[in-house]
Amino acid sequence: MSEQIKHEVIMIGAGPAALTAAIYTTREDIDTLLIEKGVVGGLAAVTDVIDNYPGFAKGVKGLDLADDLRQQAERFGTEIELAEVSELIKEDKLIRLKTTAGEMVADAVLIATGCDYKRTGIPGEEKYYARGVHFCATCDGAFYRDKRLVVIGGGNSAFQESIFLTRYANHIDILVRSQIKASDVLQKEMQPFIDQGKVSVHLGVTPLEIVGDENGVTAVNGTDANGNKVEFKTDGVFEFIGLKPNTSFLRESGVRLNEQGFVITDENLETSIEGVFAAGDVRSGATMQIASASGEGATAALKIREYLEGRLHNSELRQLEVNP
Amino acid sequence: MVKKITIFTSDTCGYCHMVKTYLKAKGMGYEEVNLDRVPERRAEAHRLSGALTVPVTVVTKTDDSQEIIVGYNLAKLAPAVN
Ligand SMILES: Cc1cc2nc3c(=O)[nH]c(=O)nc-3n(C[C@H](O)[C@H](O)[C@H](O)COP(=O)(O)OP(=O)(O)OC[C@H]3O[C@@H](n4cnc5c(N)ncnc54)[C@H](O)[C@@H]3O)c2cc1C
Repeated sequence: MSEQIKHEVIMIGAGPAALTAAIYTTREDIDTLLIEKGVVGGLAAVTDVIDNYPGFAKGVKGLDLADDLRQQAERFGTEIELAEVSELIKEDKLIRLKTTAGEMVADAVLIATGCDYKRTGIPGEEKYYARGVHFCATCDGAFYRDKRLVVIGGGNSAFQESIFLTRYANHIDILVRSQIKASDVLQKEMQPFIDQGKVSVHLGVTPLEIVGDENGVTAVNGTDANGNKVEFKTDGVFEFIGLKPNTSFLRESGVRLNEQGFVITDENLETSIEGVFAAGDVRSGATMQIASASGEGATAALKIREYLEGRLHNSELRQLEVNP
Repeated sequence: MVKKITIFTSDTCGYCHMVKTYLKAKGMGYEEVNLDRVPERRAEAHRLSGALTVPVTVVTKTDDSQEIIVGYNLAKLAPAVN
């Protein structure tokens, strides 16, 4: 039989939840591997500045926070494998993960895969993807210096990312299908840009199509609150219409998910499968904040430690029964 | 064989950071073109990649052929630089 790669704990994802959990587990000498398919630091690493994470009086750059979290976890011995997990299988005593870097097994697993942006799915979105249609302002904003932009969405992400994009774009039309859901703080931060005429917020607009030519995107067409056709001329579109949990790899696993696909846990952050825990944005009931993701990561780590100690205790008892 | 690697990046792009971290871990040198600092080279990145995004990694081989990797895509980046 080929050699198995086995760890005491494998954490899926390397966002704030898993990195915090790993600081706790590795500091207690629990052998821990993180598997990350995208950016180490998760969504925090692709956020420009984070103003509400405690301990940073002047705010902190997302990339800097991500880098410090990674270094802190690595200082205690955390390993990070850059790969994607495609399946989780519960076996008798172990949990097996299929990944793009091969199969791995662990005594306990933490699911900390967070969320990804939802897409509108309207015509033109796929055709102009990365050529005028974008989902990451910190990655692609630099291409829109002195250009016109449309942002689709009315929540925190849409407002926060629009504020970031004002450093490049000369005008931004924010299209909000119903009401603004962004926090009062963000609305207040946005107000000066609206007053200067740099940002216009359009309520009740449903985008129906992204159109363009051989050079890229030229407009977003849709309807207004009265059902009349409207057109917004633009050089690019950024979509921030909400988040969906990264749980498709759990489809066959038996881990219970809620209707929206978020992972259901008990008060110990354990899922419906023994030894499989969940923390952060991917968890049903999560509050979608870095501070809470980190807090849940710490809780999950302590519960995982209890779980591993319990298993050890039980196996020692079994040994005693066999060899008294 | 790789002759030269150029990465188009921006100040705030987390995925650019991952490409740089990956190459550093492999002990590979690269030239970084930060489009926030040299915005006049945006058109070059666009022309090479066909996309309005960073990172764009240009791997030039010893025979002067080029492989262009758009975004942070290990499945393409790893074989291109190995
Ligand atoms: C635009 C924006 C701005 C934000 N601003 C703030 C803010 O100012 N303050 C604040 O507190 N919060 C903010 N948030 C929310 C915050 O980023 C999240 O709450 C936090 O990052 C959640 O951490 P997490 O570890 O649960 O998940 P994530 O940060 O999403 O990390 C999950 C990681 O898992 C990886 N992954 C997913 N599936 C797999 C797989 N199958 N295999 C391997 N890896 C996988 C992903 O690539 C990702 O890196 C913002 C979010 C957005 C989108």
